Amino acid sequence: MNSDEIKTRLTKVFRDIFDSPNLELRDGTTASDIEEWDSLTHVDLIVEVEKEFKIKLSTSEVRKMKNVGDFIALIGTKVS
Amino acid sequence: MNPNKTSNLDYRRLVRSSKGLDVSLHSQQIRIALLSDAATQQFIPVLKTLLHENGIGAVFYEGPFDAIELETLNPASGFYQFKPDFVILLNATQALRSRYYSHGMEAEFERIPRIWKAIQTNSLCRVIQCNFPLPYERPFGQFDLKLQNSFYTAVQSLNSHLTTLVKDNSNILLCDLESVASDLGRRNWFDDRLWDMCKTFCALDHLPAAAQAMVDLVLASLGRVVKCVILDLDNTLWGGVVGDVGYAGVEIAAHGDGEAFYRFQQYLLSLKNRGILLAVCSKNDQANAAAVFESNPNMVLKRDDVTVFMANWENKADNIRQIRDTLQIGFDSMVFLDDNPFERNLVRNFLPDVIVPELPEDPADYISAISQLNLFEITAFSREDVARSALYKEEADRREAQNSFTDINDFLKSLEMRAVVTRFKEEEISRIEQLFLRSNQFNLTTHRYSEAECRSMMNDKQACIPLQVSLQDRFGAHGLISIVVAWRQADALCISDWLMSCRVLGRGVEQYVMNHVFATARQLRLNTVSGDYLPTAKNAMVKDFWARFGFEHAGGTTWRMPVAAYRPIPVHISELPQPEMAAR
Repeated sequence: MNSDEIKTRLTKVFRDIFDSPNLELRDGTTASDIEEWDSLTHVDLIVEVEKEFKIKLSTSEVRKMKNVGDFIALIGTKVS
Repeated sequence: MNPNKTSNLDYRRLVRSSKGLDVSLHSQQIRIALLSDAATQQFIPVLKTLLHENGIGAVFYEGPFDAIELETLNPASGFYQFKPDFVILLNATQALRSRYYSHGMEAEFERIPRIWKAIQTNSLCRVIQCNFPLPYERPFGQFDLKLQNSFYTAVQSLNSHLTTLVKDNSNILLCDLESVASDLGRRNWFDDRLWDMCKTFCALDHLPAAAQAMVDLVLASLGRVVKCVILDLDNTLWGGVVGDVGYAGVEIAAHGDGEAFYRFQQYLLSLKNRGILLAVCSKNDQANAAAVFESNPNMVLKRDDVTVFMANWENKADNIRQIRDTLQIGFDSMVFLDDNPFERNLVRNFLPDVIVPELPEDPADYISAISQLNLFEITAFSREDVARSALYKEEADRREAQNSFTDINDFLKSLEMRAVVTRFKEEEISRIEQLFLRSNQFNLTTHRYSEAECRSMMNDKQACIPLQVSLQDRFGAHGLISIVVAWRQADALCISDWLMSCRVLGRGVEQYVMNHVFATARQLRLNTVSGDYLPTAKNAMVKDFWARFGFEHAGGTTWRMPVAAYRPIPVHISELPQPEMAAR
């Protein structure tokens, strides 16, 4: 799976969690760019990402994921 | 809207629906406080949506994280200021674990009852206490069970300690999260990453199941209970078609082919014994169908276990309407079980309030499928529940007797009715609470009181006159069938509640009680009696109640009548000698 494909599917998850159908993701998008992105929705996000990509993320991996670029990179290593 | 109790329990769906939800439109509004040592921000939207889907608007107070004691021990806390109708005490196994490893378990046995006591001192709200899902770790392996104080066995004893305590405390309802967790499987239930990251007490996917268990208790507390299960016969209650194979040929036996049906009937019998009425609604010849109950020795259910027996070739929706008319209960308190999807859909279509669960193809799975829906929640269990089926049977006999009289007065006289009206009695409190919960039609104001509130009225001998009415006749005792609560206010007697079981409609009970109310008012030298009517979707039958007695509309929902204007109404009920007068 290439990073564009990951980004498309990740966008779908973000749009669902943040209830924002037009949300566009950039690699540099962080929690401060999305109003509802807090520690709790972060967890919702992780659980949905795990389901979407059928992967499992560890606590320390979750902690390290600060922006969309981190998400894409980590998902990339897990799915390939 | 989704019908009762069949919401789809998908976490994301429930969270999504909770956004922008306007719950103020529901006629039923409740206030729920949630106090927890886990984080509950993800949980509340789920609870809110589930209640909404059951027709209830809920406003929440979310206590600060891990502040159960602070909130409950301080009478000035935000929790008490919120004035909740319900408080949910959600203690997480994970939080218990960390206290266990630092201080041991002993203090925990005292801690929770102390919190209950504080709440009950400061509030009349109902308490929903969650028990603890058992942990997965067992340092001693299976030998753990032989130890008193491993975390695993300590949680077990704490759970059973809570169970014992709530038996004597009717205002506390136990939410059996341990059974929810074990049903889903402990390994799926716990997600320790989520606990570490944000103190969520279980996997997100299972928050809805936990919420549903609480919603079930809330619904039961508000009187939303199932009163009757309506059963199809062929391939639901037994295997095969009785019209083809005869009463002896149907599959029903303790072993072998009929075992699934045998087990299912045992389950239904246990429901009947706990007060749920059983009715039959089947496309069959009456005689063929009845023969199975009467002559097949393998049947667990006997003809007497069935209160209303409808076997004919009419459509099932019409038959269910007739069952409703006979039993005088609402459609929303009925469950219809039928193996045939066509019949299920027909009933759903014509009677959307009737609860119609999907049944699995294999009858071996019936009980498990029905149990998963947790349809039969109750909050109290009384003598009347055990006897209910018999009471409705006696009622059928009375109706038969009625047919042999042409004059209603002759019939009423022949019943030899005797009534007792007294203040609430401690030994009847659970029945009283139940009548408040279960009465929908003959109920002037539909207030739902908890046992604690009933007891507080009972003990308020200055201002409150809370009356319970029991009736018996020559066919048997009806038990406690009517409740009237009146308050002395200046020179008036104000009736806040008047309700009656529909089983005794048309016998002059309300006239008898009204005579009693005015006699009491006269005795207390009061000038007026007043009462209210608050319309609901179900109580139209009493909309003219006050007018029929000659009360004048006094504006708003209130009606009034001078004591001097009331003339006692002749009735065919005599008073049983009774010890104490209503109030001094």
